[in-house]
Amino acid sequence: MLNHRRISAILSSVVVLLLLCGTSQAIPAFSRQYGTSCSTCHVDFPKLNDFGKAFKDAGFKFPKDDESFIKVPPVLLGAPANKELFPHSIWPGTIPGLPPIGLRYNHFFQVVSANRNNFNLQNTSGDPNQSQFIPRTDFQTGLFSIFMAGNFGSDIAFWVDDDLSVGGSGQAGGLGDGYLKFVNIGRFLKLPTDALSLRFGQFELDLPFSQARSWNLSGWDIYAQPNIGAPGQNVSNGFSLDAAAQGVELSGGHQYRGYHYSLAIVNQNTGGTPGSGASVPPVVGFTSDSNFKDLYARFSYRFNLERDPASRNEIQAAGATGPRDHTYLSLGTLYFYGRSVQRLAGQDVNNTPIVITAREPFYRVGGDFSFNYHAFNLFGQFLYGRDQNLLPLVPNGMVLPIGFTAGSPAHFSGGFLEADYLAYPWMMTILRWDRVNSTADFLNGIGADQNAPVAPYLSPVSSVRNRITPGIQFMVHANIKTSFEYQIRPKQIVYAPGTSTPIISGFRTNSAVAGLEFVY
Amino acid sequence: MTRTFWVATVVLAFTLGASAGTISGKVSGVSGESVVYVDVIQGKTFPAPAQHPLIDQKGLMFTPHLTVVQQGSTVDFLNSDSVAHNVFWTSVGGNKKLTHNLGTWPKGEKRSFKFDNPGAVPLLCNVHPEMAGYIIVSPTPYFATTDKSGEYKIENVPDGSYTLTAWHEGAKGQSKPVTVAGDSKADFTLSK
Repeated sequence: MLNHRRISAILSSVVVLLLLCGTSQAIPAFSRQYGTSCSTCHVDFPKLNDFGKAFKDAGFKFPKDDESFIKVPPVLLGAPANKELFPHSIWPGTIPGLPPIGLRYNHFFQVVSANRNNFNLQNTSGDPNQSQFIPRTDFQTGLFSIFMAGNFGSDIAFWVDDDLSVGGSGQAGGLGDGYLKFVNIGRFLKLPTDALSLRFGQFELDLPFSQARSWNLSGWDIYAQPNIGAPGQNVSNGFSLDAAAQGVELSGGHQYRGYHYSLAIVNQNTGGTPGSGASVPPVVGFTSDSNFKDLYARFSYRFNLERDPASRNEIQAAGATGPRDHTYLSLGTLYFYGRSVQRLAGQDVNNTPIVITAREPFYRVGGDFSFNYHAFNLFGQFLYGRDQNLLPLVPNGMVLPIGFTAGSPAHFSGGFLEADYLAYPWMMTILRWDRVNSTADFLNGIGADQNAPVAPYLSPVSSVRNRITPGIQFMVHANIKTSFEYQIRPKQIVYAPGTSTPIISGFRTNSAVAGLEFVY
Repeated sequence: MTRTFWVATVVLAFTLGASAGTISGKVSGVSGESVVYVDVIQGKTFPAPAQHPLIDQKGLMFTPHLTVVQQGSTVDFLNSDSVAHNVFWTSVGGNKKLTHNLGTWPKGEKRSFKFDNPGAVPLLCNVHPEMAGYIIVSPTPYFATTDKSGEYKIENVPDGSYTLTAWHEGAKGQSKPVTVAGDSKADFTLSK
């Protein structure tokens, strides 16, 4: 029987994911504070140039002589001389002279290929409720977001962003990142400058290429990849690398030169259901669904390739006609380790019902590179994921499992390759290749893009899903952008309901998306 | 007696020939600083000043925002910021063939350029597109900037007939003939 609600959910998830993946943020608050253009820090907002990376590394400050650039002086929360009185005074800080608020709004228009309603071939009943009509064209409201960032003095940076509404609904928003970052705390340990910083709060993991602040209309598939086991496996890990994490991060180095590292300890919640606290009311609620805290580590090294040492070591290279981004090669690696928790109804040897818990260790490991030559940037990510598979052990004569036994692990791999070329300061061309290789996804019928699991109606035709996405973006002004993207999606297939017999051979539901967004 | 007469005649002629006046007036229709200068005087050239005016890049701004120099002057460009800056202009006096890029230099260093062509030079930085400055290259040493009320005064202009030009950022320039014999008046009303 056709499950039109599932298809509806898939289509909704496509739209929502498309919107969420486009949660790019540039910071108009900094433009106001420093009296400078967005392009001081961004190539094509929110893509950072080398100076923008240095600004971020420094805790949302100019890396040198910050105070000489500020046009709106910060408000002192205590005279600097109070430092001399400490601990008999509050350590003096500052707040930005203007409320550090930026706002962003975007809107989309999409065109979906003519075969978009192939899935309705499953409906032979004539019941309209069993079909899902997909329009050929559609205007779609995107996000209205607020974001605030800045520095409180003493090298304490802050960031909070929140989607006030999503898809035109005022109820669908949510917190993106919200954190304090104590920059360069290594100075207390006499470490080299910028060798150690501490971040606390909710944040996107230090991914090589930020999904939350991606300049693309759609996100990179591999960062949104969960690991749901194939039939016969007991793996149901909803974790994906692009999810916001709550925890603590130590980091150091620079994004524009040399080494950079990040070590984070974050909440684990692979099932999406935190403890209710019904019996033990928490002070501020629970987010974790287990005791274990997940671990994330990243290390990268960037080689600036200019011959002139002075130019090579500066934040931006000294081009013949003006500063520019370095010619560089950056190499990096990431590693994430966690334990996916599943709690099942079981029994002990005395047939007493109990809850049994499977803690399935999993890891994600990847490598990345980025090569930049003037206005051309080629970068890519490879990722491999593996989840241990603990199968419920039901001895003969028993109804419920008494424990678990190891099965074959669930794994996936994939990545992306993207080339950005800034043809003009106001026009960037993009070509992307996304690839996900997951036998489990194929067997589960998990969608050909970033769709929610559903089977067997909407499925890729292969365990390897490729997506080619050419695009182009135009800066109308430094704060207004129009983006176009054409998604050549993986082949899909429609099966006869309840069978594995295809109704129609493989086809692609390609789509074209145009986005208009502005920040102010 | 004849000799005395001729000496007196020569002295008088020299004195009259060297007599200089003042051009004053008001530039209205715009707010802020404007520049008024005596345009090209046919057959007359002026030695370039030895002094180098200085334009600083500090706090992501050109300082001063508006500089008037005599044709042939050499201007020094200083970077006082701890970020890299660039200086370029797309034209001189509207002539796009005179576009030039001075390149990049670090904090504390200067680069110089000699402006041999008259007209307005819009200064830009290709790293910080919000930065803007202007150099007005006057073909004569007779120029002035207006005060806040738009009043200006150009002193020591030899008597004669000239073309007087007024310039203001973002406004259409305006030229008008003026005859200097002692104190002369010339007002401008500019529009954007």
